Parts: sequence; C-alpha cells; structure tokens
Amino acid sequence: MITLDPAMLNRVIKPARYTGNEWNSIKKDHDKVNVTVALSLPDVYEVGMSNLGLKILYQILNNRTDTAAERVYAPWVDMESEMRARNIPLFTLESLKPVSEFDVVGFSLQYEMSYSNVLNMLDLAGIPLFTAERNEKMPIIVGGGPCTFNAEPVADFFDCLILGEGEEVMEDLIEAVSAWKQSGKADGRVGLLKKIAKIEGIYVPSLYDVTYHNDGTVAKIVPNCSDAPAIVTKRVVKDLNTVEYATRPIVPFLDIVHDRIMLELFRGCTRGCRFCQAGVLYRPVRERRPEVLLKMAKEMVDSTGYNEISLTSLSSADYSCLPDLVQSLVDDLKEQGVSVSLPSLRIDSFSIELAQKVQQVRKSGLTFAPEAGSQRMRDVINKGVTEQNLEDAVSAAFQAGWSTVKLYFMMGLPTETDEDVLEIANLAYKVLDLYKKITGRRGAKVTVSVSCFVPKPHTPFQWFPQNHASEFERKQQLLKAKLRDRNITFNWHDARTSFLEGAFARGDRRLGQVLLKAWQNGARFDGWSEYFKYDVWIDAFKASDLDPYFYATRERSFEEVMPWDHLSSGATKDFLQREYQQAVQEELTCDCRREKCSACGVCPGLGVEVLDWGNKA
Amino acid sequence: MAKLRLEITKGEEIRYISHLDYASAMERAIIRAKLPAAYSEGFNPHMKISFASALAVGVTSQAEYIDVEFKEEVELSQAVVRLTQSLPPGIKIKGARYMYGNVPALMAIVNLATYEVTMPLLAEDIGVIEDSIRWFNEAETVPYTRESPKGRKEIEVKQYMAQAVKIIILEKAVRLMIDIKITPTGSVKPGEVVAALVDMFDLPVDIDNLLIHRTGLYICDEKRTVSPIEC
Ligand code: SF4
Repeated sequence: MITLDPAMLNRVIKPARYTGNEWNSIKKDHDKVNVTVALSLPDVYEVGMSNLGLKILYQILNNRTDTAAERVYAPWVDMESEMRARNIPLFTLESLKPVSEFDVVGFSLQYEMSYSNVLNMLDLAGIPLFTAERNEKMPIIVGGGPCTFNAEPVADFFDCLILGEGEEVMEDLIEAVSAWKQSGKADGRVGLLKKIAKIEGIYVPSLYDVTYHNDGTVAKIVPNCSDAPAIVTKRVVKDLNTVEYATRPIVPFLDIVHDRIMLELFRGCTRGCRFCQAGVLYRPVRERRPEVLLKMAKEMVDSTGYNEISLTSLSSADYSCLPDLVQSLVDDLKEQGVSVSLPSLRIDSFSIELAQKVQQVRKSGLTFAPEAGSQRMRDVINKGVTEQNLEDAVSAAFQAGWSTVKLYFMMGLPTETDEDVLEIANLAYKVLDLYKKITGRRGAKVTVSVSCFVPKPHTPFQWFPQNHASEFERKQQLLKAKLRDRNITFNWHDARTSFLEGAFARGDRRLGQVLLKAWQNGARFDGWSEYFKYDVWIDAFKASDLDPYFYATRERSFEEVMPWDHLSSGATKDFLQREYQQAVQEELTCDCRREKCSACGVCPGLGVEVLDWGNKA
Repeated sequence: MAKLRLEITKGEEIRYISHLDYASAMERAIIRAKLPAAYSEGFNPHMKISFASALAVGVTSQAEYIDVEFKEEVELSQAVVRLTQSLPPGIKIKGARYMYGNVPALMAIVNLATYEVTMPLLAEDIGVIEDSIRWFNEAETVPYTRESPKGRKEIEVKQYMAQAVKIIILEKAVRLMIDIKITPTGSVKPGEVVAALVDMFDLPVDIDNLLIHRTGLYICDEKRTVSPIEC
C-alpha cells in the first residue's frame, strides 16, 4: 500500500481525485481473490468516473467472489509531477496498491487523443510499454471501448483488445487468467495470449503480422499462429434485460462530468447517420423492457442518493416506450426529489412536450443537433431531419418558454461546399427570427457549435479524405464573418486537434512509433487544449518518417485494405460502400428498426435481433 | 416543522474533499436513508439543509453541525440508525436532536472554532519553539496578508484569537491548539495563523506537511461556552 503524504495532497488541485473511499466503492482483500483487475480510463478522474461501461464492469467483476476490481485514472499534471518527484508509482483508488501488482489492467479507449495518456500511465506504473517487453509477473494490458475497432496505432502496447460489449467477454477473460494462474502460468505469457485469442471478441495484436505495399498502404494483416482467427468479430449482449447493470455505481465526492444516475434505455441506433461510428459499432438496437428500467432506476436512487436520472442512450428519444417510462419515473420518484433528464432531444415537437414534462431541462437551454446547415448536406449524411422539423421544434420550445438554444453542427462532410457551410449561419438567424415572431421580443440566445468532421473506421465515410486543417480554418472564418450578432455565440473545434485525431482514427500499426516519440517529448492530455502540443506530434511524425496527411486527408479506394479489415463490427463492407454511394447521390436510407432492414449484415452475422418493445406489443 | 440537528465528523478518509462536496455527500446520504427531508419550492428544488461553518479541503473535524428540515418527524433513534447506515466512511454521527420553533441559523450563532494543528518539527531545540509561540501570544498585533484568487487583503490575526496558542511537543512533531473567533465581519484560518507563526515568528516546522483538525465549534457568550448540540 502506498502512503500519500499530506504535503503532496495539500499542494495538488482536487486531491480528492486520488484518495478514494467513495460510497459504493468496494475494497477486497487481495489475498482472498484469484484475479485482481485495475479498471482505467486514460483521462482525469472526473472524466473516467463518468464512463458507463466501466461502472458496469466494476460491478460485474466485483460480484465475482474470486475477483477484485479497482479503479485508476490519469493523475492530473500537477499530481503526476509530485508522484514522479517522490517515486510514487501509479496506484488504484481502492487499495492504494501499485497498478503493476495487478493481474489485469484494462483501459477504456474512448478517444484517440487519450492514447498518449495510456503510455504515460503505463510508464508511471512502471510497466514496460510494449507487450513484447512484459514478463510473466506483469499485468495483462487490455483495451476496450470504441477505439479498439481500429486500435492499430496502439496495437504494440496492448496485450489484447476487446471488441464490442464487455459484460460477457470480460468474464471469459477473467476465467482464462484465473485458470492460467492456477496452472502455474503454463507456457508463459504467450501461452495465455494464445488462449485468450480464442475467446470470441478478443483481438491479440501480437498474433498478427502486418505487411505494407511500397506506397505505404497495408498489403495484408494475417494471423501468425493457428490460435488467432483471421477476423475478430465484436461481442454483443443478446438480451440486455438479463445482464447485470451498474445498479450500485460509485458516488464520487467530486463533481464529475456526468454526476447523476445513468439509465441506459437501449443500445444501438438505427437512424443510420453516415458519419456516426457508434451507430455502426453498437448495432443492432436492443431495448430494455420498461419495467426492468423502472426497477433499475429505483434501485439506483436507493443505492446512490442521486436526485437526477439521465436517460442515456445514443438517441434516447427513440426509445419505443419513452412517454410511459418517463411518466412512471416521474410519478414514482417525485417523493424522493428525483428529476429526470433527457440529454439528447430529437428534433421534433414531441420531444419538447417530453422535455416539458420532465421539467428538468432548465428553461435556460435546449440542445439540438441538425449536424449540417443545408438540407442537401443533411441528406448526404442521412440525418433525416428537415428544416421544417427544426423550425417546429424550436417554435415549440420558444412557445414553452425556452429562450436559449444550442445547435450542433459539423463541417468538412463529404461533398460540402461553402454554401453548405453558410447555411449553418442562415439556420442560426432563422432561429433568432422565430423567437421574435413567436414572443414579439428579441433576446433569444443561440449557441452554434461546429466541430471538424473526422471520418471514422467502420462508417460509410471511412474512405473519405478529411479536410485539411487549413481548409477547416478557412471555413471557420467564413462562418465567423457571417455570425456577427451579439445574440449568437459561435464555438468551434481546434482544427489541428481534429487533424491528428483523424490521422490516428484511421492509422495503422506504424503510428505506434509516432505515439511513443510524441509521449517521450511530453505529449499527454492531448484532448485538453491547454496541454495539446501540436508541434510535438508533427515532429514525432517526421522523426518516424511518416506523413500524417497520408492517414488523415488521403482518399482511399474501395479496393484498399484498411488497417482494421480484420476487425469486424458485423456490418459488411458492402453495406458501408453502398451507403457511401447513396450519400454522394443524396439518397436516404430508412431506419431499420421501424421500417425495413437495410441489410447491414449485423443481425444475421452475429445471430442477434433488433429488440423494440413498442413494435412487439 | 422540526429540524434535525446533527453533530457529525469529517474523518481522515475524506480529509481532502471540499465543503461543497461534503455537503452533497450528506444530502445523498439523507436520500439513501429515505429520511423525509423538506425541499425548497421553485424550479430547481434543493434540500433544506444548512451547515454551521465551512471546512476547508485538507481539514478534518470531530464536531461539524448541520440542520436538516423535515416534512415530518421520524423517531430520533430511527433517523440516526438509518442515516448511519447510509453515511460514507469518514462521516459519523456523534449527536442528534430535534429543534423546534424558530431556530436561528447555525451559521449565525456559532462564534468560536477550536483546532489542533500538527506538523513535523524542523528543530531539535524545544526552546526555540516555545519562544516563537510566546512571542506570538505576547504580540500586540500580527498583520497578515491574505492572498486569494480574489486578490490580497491585509488582516489582523490577533483580533481573532480567542485564547493564547498552546503547544504540545510530540515525537518529531508539534501540535498547536488554536482557538479562533468567528465574527460577523470575518475570521482567520488556522493555516493562516500557522503561516504567520512561521513567517514572522520563525516557528521551525515543516508547514507543507501540516494537518489541521477541528476539535470544536461553539456558541460562546459571557456566561458560558456550549456546542450547538447542547445549546
Ligand atoms: S441487419 Fe438489418 S435490422 Fe439488423 S441492424 Fe442491420 S439493417 Fe438493422
């Protein structure tokens, strides 16, 4: 056990990030379990603690009497320098034990810009960065989360990566590790990795060889032993009603990013937005039964004392039994002072009604995501929302008393012209005018947030060349010039961060060197603008003799082997190509939950079914 | 309506949480315990709960006081049992009673706080320590510049001292007993008193490693000094 001396804790900001003891946290005696697991998200405590997947795994793993699961997050820069100065290794929050003493260390990879933190945390833990350098006494380093569907840039650092939902596969992994330990670690680390590679949904990168063409593209990625499958396919939970959920989540002392109960109504989204990676990775839609949700919600209020429930799913307003569910939640939990909130609103007036009913969304702000300014562009991305929809929704909101609206957009989408970009401004002004028309007053506040589109693997836009940073900046200026109204606030994303995110999103295994060099030269917390060091990254690319533009802004042909072609989300390449072509032709694809199956391949391929209770009734 | 007044602790386990976070930890414990707390009216209702005095990050306490307004009265021992089961490590209930009628706010009546501050000694010679404490206690005025994000402010430390500072010499450490007045126009923090002792009276201690513990909060007048739970 590590002791943290007061001088250190007195000096850092938010020392409670490092001291644990939160309600519902679980401390087990390590001598009484077979397997110890450190669960991590490579970002600061407040971000890490807000991740639903890790909350679920924490509960599932700790339900096992043979397993102890603990947490560790990236120490903030001030704490890191205190730790390095005092030779304090990375430690978990429950037992304050060094992470290097655990059997398994799992990182949730949510975002490419957190990769440098993974290396930094391994280093702080005193664990060799490369899988090839680790011996039998060292932890197994596991990755999970959306980035694993192309984790090639971090492949050399991970022993294995989990594709898809973790509930079941994580238990399989623990069983394998436990058996291996009991066998006296038979055949060493490689023996274990070969066993693990046979588990469905687990990718062991070291068991695959990558070769490249002269032009730098991937020639092939093939297993180098018979234990590894040619293609690793994601895991899905067939019925969410029967798996364990995070009903006893840890209640932090600090104000974290999502400091409330998260009630996950369903997984997946079938609206089929063509830019959306989550929409593909979490297919098909599987809803929880309303009665199960209600029971879970009550349990969570009792176990946490939180007074706010957030309905979290990719598009919560699509839940088939939403109105009834919301009504029952509000009725049953009103007494305990509990309110319900809907983080994502669909752009229609029905949502406003609901928002009013839950009375939670403060009259200060409503958020909509038209994603693109022009109708043409929204058709390209298959957003399936018309200007009329937006007008109706915003009008309903203004009539109901709201006066502040946030609008989310992307720029740099396929086929985008300057006119499309400028339509974003027109929409913003239209919203202001609507307020005037409806209330007879001025004074609506519109926030326009525009991010830079990053094409992601496993989406129909995976072949598309991302805009150059300079092009993004030009478009941002264009829009900025148009949005000169004191009632409009314009936020935009840093184009250079998006550029690097893009390079890593579609990167191959060679980027591991770039990552290593950038980290060695001080890169960490790259997702935090105050710590993002663009030049360090560019220098690291140069030193590795690799070109970031090759990865980010190059158009790929349909024939090219993608670095993630051996990793399957269940959606076929045919489907993605079809969707790309439809996009260019501005043709829509319908919602496969409510209308007809668009033949993405997931349901038959994985033997799962769309579960939509509203349709079954 | 009845108010439940509690005497509670802030222990080592939660030393580094802020006052606001300590307050919400209490609120959540009350919800978990299913106690019938009253809420304010309005769009964003909040629990009717109030504290005697804020405690800084890094400070522990054996005597914090809160009032929680109830919609209905629950039998006292029942309420205490239920709440005890819902409290995170580091918060214990040391006393509880119902207050009836027009109860003045804790914040308004508490006017004395007592602390123990413990820190490593940097000198062998006990005499040096005793001297610096004596000079401090005998000084007419001790001006101190408070620096905060809001700016600098000159304060007079001695006007807030309720008692002479006392010391206990421990093995390689020293413990100071500091009694501080809380006045309507302000107060001084125990850490600031120690800082003044180090800066101006050369107290040879490792101030980086100081540990502050609140030993009591009192209502004090000419006749007597009582805690809010005894008043
Ligand atoms: S296979 Fe058909 S129904 Fe299933 S997720 Fe794909 S498009 Fe939807």
